[in-house]
Amino acid sequence: MTQARRDILEMLSAGKITADEAERLMAAVENSPATAFSAEAADTPTRPKPKYLRVVVEDGHGKNGRGPVNINVRVPMQLLRAGVKLAGLIPQPAMEKANLAMGHKGVQINLGDIKPENLDELVDQLSDLTVDMDEHDGARVKVFCE
Amino acid sequence: MIPLTARLRVRSPKANFSVWLPLFLIWLLLLPLVVVLLPLVILVCWLFGNNPFPAVGAGWQMLCGLRGTHVEINEPEQFVLLDIA
Repeated sequence: MTQARRDILEMLSAGKITADEAERLMAAVENSPATAFSAEAADTPTRPKPKYLRVVVEDGHGKNGRGPVNINVRVPMQLLRAGVKLAGLIPQPAMEKANLAMGHKGVQINLGDIKPENLDELVDQLSDLTVDMDEHDGARVKVFCE
Repeated sequence: MIPLTARLRVRSPKANFSVWLPLFLIWLLLLPLVVVLLPLVILVCWLFGNNPFPAVGAGWQMLCGLRGTHVEINEPEQFVLLDIA
């Protein structure tokens, strides 16, 4: 029973409102968007937060055709969070040099824009991330959260 | 919680070994060194205009975050495994 329903019933039992008024109030509470939203939220199961970022590379032929190569890397999300916090402490001149170096490598990103406050949102978005690449030479790269 | 053990396995034509590292013992051995180095870290942070407490906190979180790291590279002639638990 929601708090609103309980309040209405208490008012009815205290004689502050009539049965008709209580019925109208109940109907209004049931049809209110806030109630619908909370009921919907209660029905939706909460998804557990991802703990790890997994990168799997499978290359059937390997470098120069020497044989299959498998790479399996699991990085804890906590390490990513701590890394971002640590990156936020990099002095500005060093940050500018790092941004410049990354720009030369084709990665146009400003490390200063990544704040710890935005990190939870970023990690939440990562939980939906799945990168699955199949290359024509048989190599396969998968990046996902678990 | 900080990582307590690590497993390193290397297999290649030049080397073939598997090591289980009790990190909890290594942390105990490194603890006096950390106590000695802490004032130096605080001094460097102040020189670069950073608050030393978030820096030390972030370093600690990175250490704790290492737990669960798993790196496995498997080639026909080489195999490397690093597992931190």
